[in-house]
Amino acid sequence: MGNITLGRYIPLDSPVHKLDPRAKIMAMLLVLVAIFFPAGWLGYGIIFLAVSFMIILSKLSFNFIWKSMKPMMFMMFFLFIINCLVLKTGTPLLTIGKFAIYSDAVKQTLYIVVRLLLMIMITTCLTATTKPLDLTLGIEDLLSPFGKIGVPSHEIAMLISIALRFIPDLIDETQRIIKAQESRGVDLKEGKIMERIMAVLSLIVPLFVSAFQRAEDLANAMEARGYAPGEPRTRYKVLKMRRSDWLLLLGAALLLAGMIFLAFFA
Amino acid sequence: MGIIEVKNLSFSYDEEDNAVDDVSFSVEEGSYTTIIGHNGSGKSTVAKLIAGLLEKKSGTIVIDSMELNEENLKKIRNRVGIVFQNPDNQFIGSTVRDDIAFGLENHCVPQNEMDGIIEEFASRVRMTDYLNSEPTRLSGGQKQRVAIAGVLAMGPKILIFDEATSMLDPQGKDEIKKVINQIHRKSGLTILSITHDIEEVTSGDYVIAMNDGKIAMTGTPEEIFANEKKLKEIKLDLPFSVKLQKELVKKGLKLEKSLTMEGLVEQLCRLNSNM
Amino acid sequence: MPIEFEHVSYIYSDGTPFRYVALSDVNLNIEEGKMTAVIGRTGSGKSTLVQHLNALLLPSEGKVKVLDRVIEAGSKPKQLKSLRGQVGLVFQFPEYQLFEETVLKDVAFGPKNFGVSEADAAEKARKALKLVGLDESYEQRSPLELSGGQKRRVAIAGILAMDPSVIVLDEPTAGLDPQGTVDMMKLFRELNKKHGKTILIVTHDMEQVFTFCDNVIVMENGKPRISATVGEFFKDSSLCREMDILPPALIRMKDALREKGFRFDGNVNDMNALAGAIVKQVKKHG
Repeated sequence: MGNITLGRYIPLDSPVHKLDPRAKIMAMLLVLVAIFFPAGWLGYGIIFLAVSFMIILSKLSFNFIWKSMKPMMFMMFFLFIINCLVLKTGTPLLTIGKFAIYSDAVKQTLYIVVRLLLMIMITTCLTATTKPLDLTLGIEDLLSPFGKIGVPSHEIAMLISIALRFIPDLIDETQRIIKAQESRGVDLKEGKIMERIMAVLSLIVPLFVSAFQRAEDLANAMEARGYAPGEPRTRYKVLKMRRSDWLLLLGAALLLAGMIFLAFFA
Repeated sequence: MGIIEVKNLSFSYDEEDNAVDDVSFSVEEGSYTTIIGHNGSGKSTVAKLIAGLLEKKSGTIVIDSMELNEENLKKIRNRVGIVFQNPDNQFIGSTVRDDIAFGLENHCVPQNEMDGIIEEFASRVRMTDYLNSEPTRLSGGQKQRVAIAGVLAMGPKILIFDEATSMLDPQGKDEIKKVINQIHRKSGLTILSITHDIEEVTSGDYVIAMNDGKIAMTGTPEEIFANEKKLKEIKLDLPFSVKLQKELVKKGLKLEKSLTMEGLVEQLCRLNSNM
Repeated sequence: MPIEFEHVSYIYSDGTPFRYVALSDVNLNIEEGKMTAVIGRTGSGKSTLVQHLNALLLPSEGKVKVLDRVIEAGSKPKQLKSLRGQVGLVFQFPEYQLFEETVLKDVAFGPKNFGVSEADAAEKARKALKLVGLDESYEQRSPLELSGGQKRRVAIAGILAMDPSVIVLDEPTAGLDPQGTVDMMKLFRELNKKHGKTILIVTHDMEQVFTFCDNVIVMENGKPRISATVGEFFKDSSLCREMDILPPALIRMKDALREKGFRFDGNVNDMNALAGAIVKQVKKHG
């Protein structure tokens, strides 16, 4: 698990880390929407510069961002092949025997790749600079206006934060069960179909049993400490929007407006 | 009248056998009571019933002069804190600070008072240096100390430990036992500890021994340990020093009853120097 | 054939910021046919050490010799499966590895994985269940409905059914009540004495080590600090104190009395002998 960088929080001391999670989530959403307007290369260039500025400000290394993108590379290459096979418009760029790669295939792929890269950059910018718990708090607050139409924003946030809290424990548990079953001769890498099915069962059943046990213990612990879903409670962590947060939102909104302008009016 | 009054309490998980069968006892305010018994004897079930986590089949539970029922549940929860066995599964917050805050949030403590309370109770269990630590960075004993702080912060009158040391290593067990003793001495809380640790029983005031869902014996540790035959019957053992003392008395030494190793050593010393 | 560790190191997550040296340059000999306790603080490398015995972990450096196999760092060992049948490893809280519909099927799962026929596996499973003290009435029950202690017995039977010659147990009595603990330890002693199994137990409980084991290995910071017989290790409490381990009650008592002028020779190792020795000395003075 040590090598996965996508979606991971990196504890650094930067102005971006200190921003209000609500502002960051909203800004991310605005810029993500902006990407989907066909604003052309100029538009993408502007977004790229803006996001790069945020990354530099957050003290994240571009190497880290690059690592987050790597897992996507294979997918993008696959996409390129499909585009080459399907898109036969524009001018042929390269001809190998009967087969030709057309300029539109390259252009289309590049469009998608650039958008995807931008999306990864933007989301990484959020997840790497915001503690998972602060993210949940932000989501809770942003969802709370929807409480009137029955969205249980607090319960959703509690659910996410508990899931986040127990992910490392569940990973440990999974590894322990894998080792225990390997000690009983389970071979996860090879074997006949029936053996494979048994191998998977021998992991899943114990994992479920222990997850249920955990859930029961946790429910007891929460109840014993006075937690009752739906009842009023105070909150320890309070979020405060400051001037820098509003600035971020303003910047994101301007970026979106700019893209709309480039796409439809320029 | 005790702070906990249990009368004719029964409970069953499956409608058939009673896991707790017609149990009655009383716990005095400010006392340190231990409940012992082998696995499956019903002792943890009793703890969960008192904490209002399970619903009784019949009988009554009165806590601090209030009957435990739907109506009083919330008030009683404020008076009874419980620390469970598994250190990981009761750590709810993402850091020590957040975990202690969890109970305060539920009790609607105003936000601006929380930090003070959190720091006070963290220092009582000596976890001040770890306030911002995540649970994966803590030992089992440390996690249990946080659980104790989280429960104490809600201001209970009764503290239940449901085998709170059984999953810890010797260092962890030692830490927790010290913290429990300290809380008992300093704050005068009523302690109810469900335990397998026969040595812990000697530090309590009163013992309830359970077997097959029923109460087998009650009394002071001295009284309980005097009845070795009955203890054996319900598959429980004596502490080492008590066993040795009995052996010595059998071999003809005259000794006063003493539960601890130190007490026994002191007596033997006196005998040895009585030249 | 003993088990040997030669300059074994094990490093978790090497090459990442989470790099952690769990074992460093371990040299160790574990006697065949004996019951050896592995003790040490949490995080001292006990569990990492024992997971090398059935090649769940492969050494980052050095080599491990187990039975007739040599597992060397860097080389990819073949046929790990046969080794796993010969060295049975029981993890902590093994009740969480049960998954089959019936107790019998679950216990037979191990042998079947090692290519034993259905009928033979069931036969081995029956034998193993008998060894752990569960009679036929348990065979068709669901393992998930049993009590905690029974589940653990079924899980241990699951390893015994593979008929390993070395049995490794990681804190097998954690969470059991005192009676359950003693019963479990007696079972391992019997497997060792009657069935000639080499047994390794990772434990925190010094009373168990003192009463049931032959040898002790004390791990500290990824290295074995002490490897000795139980008699040597508990001669007095000095080694324990040095390692910050609470000695067994009997040793503590002996030491406390020694300090006050009592004398005991080396073979005062049970309650009866201790009581006898005390009475003799007191009466001489009294």
